[in-house]
Amino acid sequence: MTTVPPTLAADEVEPAVRGPAPARRGTLPPVARVLARRALQAVSVTLLVSTACFVIVQNLPGDMAYRIAAGRYGYDRVTTASADAVRADLGLDAPAWQQLARWWADLAQFDLGTSLVTGGSVVHELRLPVTSSLQLAATALALAVAVGAPVGMAAAWRPGGLLDRLTTVWVAGTRALPPFLLGLLLIMLFSVHLGWLPAVGHGSASNVVLPAVTLAVGLSGLFARVTRDTVAQLRGSGFVTFAETKGLRGRAVLARHVLRNAGVTLVAYVGAQALILIEGVVVVESLFAWPGLGRTLVHAIFWRDVPVIQAAAVALALLVVLINTVVDVAGLALDPRPRWRQVVP
Amino acid sequence: MNMHVQGLVVTHTGRTLLDVDDLRLERGRAVTIVGESGSGKSLLAHAVMGTLGAGLEAQGRVVIEGTSYDVAERRARRRLWGRVMALLPQEPVLALDPTMRVRGQVAEGAASFWSDRRSGYRAAEEVLGTLGVAGAARRYPHTLSGGMAQRVAFAAATIGGARVLIADEPSKGLDDHARNDLTVLLHRHVTAGGILLTITHDLDLGRDLGGDVLVMRDAGIVERGPAHQVLITPSHPYTRRLLAAEPGRWRHLWVRDRTSGATERTADPGGPTLVQTDRVAKGFAGRTLFSDVSLTIRPGDRLALAGPSGSGKTTLGNVLLRLLQPDAGSVRHTQELAGGRLQKLYQDPAVAFPSRVPIGAALADVVRRHRPAPGRLTSLLAAMRLDESLLQRTPGQVSGGELQRLSIIRAILVDPLLIFADEPTSRLDLVTQEETMCCLMEQVERSGCALVLVTHNQALAHTVADRVLAVAG
Repeated sequence: MTTVPPTLAADEVEPAVRGPAPARRGTLPPVARVLARRALQAVSVTLLVSTACFVIVQNLPGDMAYRIAAGRYGYDRVTTASADAVRADLGLDAPAWQQLARWWADLAQFDLGTSLVTGGSVVHELRLPVTSSLQLAATALALAVAVGAPVGMAAAWRPGGLLDRLTTVWVAGTRALPPFLLGLLLIMLFSVHLGWLPAVGHGSASNVVLPAVTLAVGLSGLFARVTRDTVAQLRGSGFVTFAETKGLRGRAVLARHVLRNAGVTLVAYVGAQALILIEGVVVVESLFAWPGLGRTLVHAIFWRDVPVIQAAAVALALLVVLINTVVDVAGLALDPRPRWRQVVP
Repeated sequence: MNMHVQGLVVTHTGRTLLDVDDLRLERGRAVTIVGESGSGKSLLAHAVMGTLGAGLEAQGRVVIEGTSYDVAERRARRRLWGRVMALLPQEPVLALDPTMRVRGQVAEGAASFWSDRRSGYRAAEEVLGTLGVAGAARRYPHTLSGGMAQRVAFAAATIGGARVLIADEPSKGLDDHARNDLTVLLHRHVTAGGILLTITHDLDLGRDLGGDVLVMRDAGIVERGPAHQVLITPSHPYTRRLLAAEPGRWRHLWVRDRTSGATERTADPGGPTLVQTDRVAKGFAGRTLFSDVSLTIRPGDRLALAGPSGSGKTTLGNVLLRLLQPDAGSVRHTQELAGGRLQKLYQDPAVAFPSRVPIGAALADVVRRHRPAPGRLTSLLAAMRLDESLLQRTPGQVSGGELQRLSIIRAILVDPLLIFADEPTSRLDLVTQEETMCCLMEQVERSGCALVLVTHNQALAHTVADRVLAVAG
């Protein structure tokens, strides 16, 4: 029997150029779609968060005017007269909806108002907290990724090996250690005993080291674990095996296929951790007297400084939106596959 | 140049999984190894290539271009990969990096790429052009059809100039169209003077490739010879058994002979209507998959939805089941189908069972809920030729064929009026496929329930079903 091979007919081949994947929702390219969605989110989040803040502060126990007067003049000099003066000065007698409407009107003109306590402009009051929070978060994340990602990568090379088991211990240990305790230990060691680094303060580069390390220690274990799982899974995947039998050297397989695909997972995870860092590090900020957003918000709530509370909350919410946007765009750049899932026809 | 495998033995904890004494491959002559799963044929490919799993002990020698390699030493052959020997991957869609454009993935296999990126890209575009997929170069894998992905994977595997090509189940999951393309590509490699070793359970692929065929069973070779002899007029009883397992040759009691009018007898045209569709249509992303489909399913009906992958046959099935809303038209179910009397079998039964729960516990839930006659489970297990001890295991601890039969049991326990089987045997080898379909059809025959079978295998569709609906896409 002779086998007659069928031939590859040109007309069997799909049209050579089909263009980019069809845009299914509207005609916007994916990046523009992400930006449009996030911009809409930014606006709605701003309105919701500031309104919620306003309502909550109005319902806090105690007379707001007394608290503000205490903030302005000190506890010893608070009298009914000074509280009344504050009330008249700030228009606290006006109905709540009028105060809220005033805040919205100002916001529409990008005017965040002035602090009730210091009398300074809120924008000015918040500049330092926002930049210091970002500085601390960025430094901590960079440290954690720089340590965690390579360790995770190395652990994935031998799943179940010594390094792999050590990272498991590391993760459990650092997660079990509360940050304030770790921070105190670091202060005792590096500031008190060795005298290498300042314990508190802000301004010079050395100030950021201890708070950033405190945060990074716990995170590095998490990053190592996530990297390890992702890379171990990728190493067993069809395309990594195929890359090897294509003749690529180990390092080329790592650089061209493993790193980028691991990046897809890792970027999303770093984004999620960045949000937690920016919002929830009040303990570490207080411990190191770091002038971050969390600490500012706590102080503002204590003194009932409504414009600062609202502006700080809005700043936090907008940072969340901003970080999510960066993560989305980075994810799109790394992995072009469409994000929505459909029933496979 | 030729390749010679000598005294190859692969064992796992003392058990012999592969024992092939002597295998010669010559330029310009295809060698195909057929056999059922577990016969050791895939291990042969990986032992030759040097990609055996870490838990397996291997001994023997592979002589390539006059150099002799010890198969236990896996690293030494790594520098041959891509340049001298290449492995054509199973399921090409999974072998392509989803985050990288096709051109880069093909180019990186070319030696020139690592010194001069541009010449590598040029070489990749040239190879893709000769395979008729020049337009794929700048696309991402998720935008390729199955057939295009197959050609791209072939380009990536062979661009390094390897004369020895090893293809492990290359036609797995491919529809007829993509399979034909694959045959052409493999032929080209052989006629250009290459060495080709193909591992497959697809006997038609073996016939199309020609050359020599080796039949493997229980770690050893039971028959070898020219393809047209072994796969047309086999001499070994096992090979004959293998050939008889091809769907077109099935001779079972439940196979209805459509020429004798048996169809009319079993499917009662006046019987109650289970499912009726009226001019349904469905499409995705502006592409219409099907439209104006009107059909009626009655008890005893056997309907096959057949077509290439991506044609929309699973979607049509899901519309029939009312799991998906049609874009136009209507689907009506009879009242009696409510309460679980419509059952679905999945392509990959592993995803249809909870992975950490013993199978027996999963089945006991069904028994508690639907209260079949006492002893029904035991009698079904016997009918499916399954041992009761399997119930203690989790889904990962039984074979794919056994698990699919267990999912048939689970469907039958409910006493269904309609069974919807979505590619139930496409991941199984020929013998297991026949065994599984027999178990299913014996129950369908006995209970008189209706069957809707989704498959890309035309022969299977025509053997099992009375009506075959070709879904073109």
